[in-house]
Amino acid sequence: MTTEIKRVFSFYFFLKKKSSRTKIFFLLSSAAILLALVIRAYRLAGHWAENSQIIFQNILMVFFLQFLIIILALFYGTSIVPEEMEGKTWPYLSSRPVSKAAIIIGKYLSSLAVTSIMLVSSLLLSYFILNLDRDFQLKDIWTVVSYSLVLLLGLAAYLSFFTFLSTWLAKPILLGLAFGFGWENVIQYFPGTTQKLSIVHYLKSLLPQYASASGRLSFLFIRLEPTRDWLAVLILLLITVVFLGLAALLFSYKEYLIQD
Amino acid sequence: MTSIREKGYHHWEGQFLDNPRTFWPISRTGIKLAFGRKHFKLGYTFSFLPAMIYAVIIYISERLEDFKFIAQGGDKLLQVNPDFFKSYLTLDLLYFAILILMSIGGAGLLADDFRHKAVQLYFARPLTKADYLLGKAGVIIFFTGTLTLVPAVLLYILKLLFAGSFAFFLDYPWLILSILACSLLIVLFFTAFILLASSLSNNRNYVISIIFGVYFFSEILRGISFAIFRSPLSALFSISANLKQVAAGFFQVKPPYNYPWYLSFLLVSLFCFLAYLIVKHKVRGVEVIK
Amino acid sequence: MTAIIEARNLSRWYGNVLGISEINLEINPGITALLGPNGAGKSTFMKILTGQLKANIGEARIFGEKVWNNRRIFSRLGFCPEDDAFYEDLSGLEFLSGLLSLYGFSQAESRQKASQALDLVELADVADRQVRSYSRGMRQRIKIAQAIAHDPEVLILDEPLSGLDPLSKRRIIKLIKEFKNAGKTIVISSHILPEVEALTSEIVLIHQGKIIARGDIYFIRDLIDTHPHMIRIKSAQYRQLATTMAGEDYLLKMAFEPEDQAVVFETHDRDRFFNRLNELLLSSPLAIDEITSPDDNLQAVFDYLVGK
Repeated sequence: MTTEIKRVFSFYFFLKKKSSRTKIFFLLSSAAILLALVIRAYRLAGHWAENSQIIFQNILMVFFLQFLIIILALFYGTSIVPEEMEGKTWPYLSSRPVSKAAIIIGKYLSSLAVTSIMLVSSLLLSYFILNLDRDFQLKDIWTVVSYSLVLLLGLAAYLSFFTFLSTWLAKPILLGLAFGFGWENVIQYFPGTTQKLSIVHYLKSLLPQYASASGRLSFLFIRLEPTRDWLAVLILLLITVVFLGLAALLFSYKEYLIQD
Repeated sequence: MTSIREKGYHHWEGQFLDNPRTFWPISRTGIKLAFGRKHFKLGYTFSFLPAMIYAVIIYISERLEDFKFIAQGGDKLLQVNPDFFKSYLTLDLLYFAILILMSIGGAGLLADDFRHKAVQLYFARPLTKADYLLGKAGVIIFFTGTLTLVPAVLLYILKLLFAGSFAFFLDYPWLILSILACSLLIVLFFTAFILLASSLSNNRNYVISIIFGVYFFSEILRGISFAIFRSPLSALFSISANLKQVAAGFFQVKPPYNYPWYLSFLLVSLFCFLAYLIVKHKVRGVEVIK
Repeated sequence: MTAIIEARNLSRWYGNVLGISEINLEINPGITALLGPNGAGKSTFMKILTGQLKANIGEARIFGEKVWNNRRIFSRLGFCPEDDAFYEDLSGLEFLSGLLSLYGFSQAESRQKASQALDLVELADVADRQVRSYSRGMRQRIKIAQAIAHDPEVLILDEPLSGLDPLSKRRIIKLIKEFKNAGKTIVISSHILPEVEALTSEIVLIHQGKIIARGDIYFIRDLIDTHPHMIRIKSAQYRQLATTMAGEDYLLKMAFEPEDQAVVFETHDRDRFFNRLNELLLSSPLAIDEITSPDDNLQAVFDYLVGK
């Protein structure tokens, strides 16, 4: 099975590299770099003396956390099965000696790899553009690494959930949209355990700035009742594994018809 | 051997009839297809919920004495004035509903034609490019119109009927024009936006991602830009903020952002114009060149 | 000897619509053609054979093994789907080598096998061009290339000749025959009899999801020949034509359409009818505007065979 997953992964990673859509999403991810450049230039012009770490945490992280990882996971995740059915390329895959579970996991991993490259490259570059100055310390590298890890965890969890939707529904994108931009946004304003029914809750629990609500974007993290770090990581990993497993299982037994 | 005297593909060479309704069969089919899509009817019906709530508010506002227990502290909410109509036409929920509905029934308008190489089939008939685009736009105009213009006008009529006098009309004689202008601008904007997105890809899912991606990205950009520059002009980045600003101008109420409303109006108009040019270019790219 | 492909009591519905019903079939090495009008159930049968669909009743076996969710047999099987669908961003070579890598071949092996397959289908010179820029014939050939690139023992080809120009058709027919000569098992579907005739004499007639006849081409031809054919001839001298033909013993019926200046003949021996018509045209000054066969299609033959 592992070798089959590797084969599927390599094929689809190559395919995604060649895809024009990947280039568009790369451009979209680069918006953070552009924003960082604008902020840096603005600061160099003598405006806005606030600590650049705080600026990054409170401004660019909003872009990554509440927009980029969701849109990337949504597009790549919900298209994992429908792109084969709508593009009618499914027969090419189904008649190869690879298991259906390997197809799903391999495609999931290739999507995760491509989107991770987009996310991490944009995150690192924008972070360094904003923070690389005389005050830059070694511990700041750990900060950006920890941001990357948290966002990657989020990306993996969202992608896994949307992959499951794509194996379950013929047109998963609308439900995905309602979840990614509706449910995930609304639920975080609810108190108590309700907000724990979202992925973004665990991501915010892992980001210190959200736990201590203050600053200009405090409206984004009001009422956050954080989950402990280790538990949040565990739950995010669990979400990833469970939904990916369910997707692989469902895909192995469900029959898919190509729509004319 | 005889030589080839003529070769190549041909557009419709006959005379175009001066029929202003040539676009209608395309629109009609698009509307019918949208209604045929799964969950569309349900979503469409639910999208009228805000309008119904606003109708109830109008009813209560006319019978304040009977509804004192509701009105306590909520007098401002129950005032029916230009701001009331503006707030209906700029509801985020309404825009979200339009986007959802148009993702189901509008995302594929051009994308599906590109995917199935159907554009050539249209132009093999006595149909101009304007007819084709108008036919496609008609689908979006129908749905956005029935969710903005129609309810807003009906609410206005309802207000006059419940009031039983022309006092409201005399207080704001220009209001109906504002409702018409604002609704038309919103309809025009969403038509341009959806058609533009639909022309950018032949994959419906990708188009839906573009629609929502751009909408939410514009909102995030507004937030980030405001955090950086602290300038009200940041609202120019946001789709919904621009529409709210223009609506405030049309309804002669205080704009939500501290800059002249016509800037947003110019931006929205420019967007619509550019969208038209791009869509026209995209359609040209796939038709048989004369 | 066990057959290479076995279908036992195979049935499949799409909701209330019948795809195939109680198909029992054994297929041995050589070319077997599934012949039937559109919607007859040929593609459904092939999809079950290639593991895309699961039968509601019965089972399909290849090399004695069940097909559904059994990936092992796919190393020995090649499938050419009917739909004109590709990973359009890839070049021809990338498309083939990418799919070959799914069999576990190394990158170098995949490229080598892909190049060989491209050579076989005469697409080597456009190997580096994106598939999206290929013509219809080239796309059909690369679909076949992906089915044969890993040198399978069984080839399943769904309408491989559809929409091709005569030259491309000839190329593909030649290629399929080469595979047959190499001792492979080939199942091919078509709804056009002359195409199938050019490939094989072993034919399975499918109609409305059922096998209605199986045999060699001569048997099918005989069946078809007993089916009366209608031939409509439009000519200013249609009455004169009818008079001349009237004595022929293979003519079953004649009907006039004076408003169109046409005569409709009904015959059970089309070949003799046309031979006689050719003689007439050469020997007399008859001018013919149009010859059509109102029922000259497979659907009519099938309707006749099932007694409609």
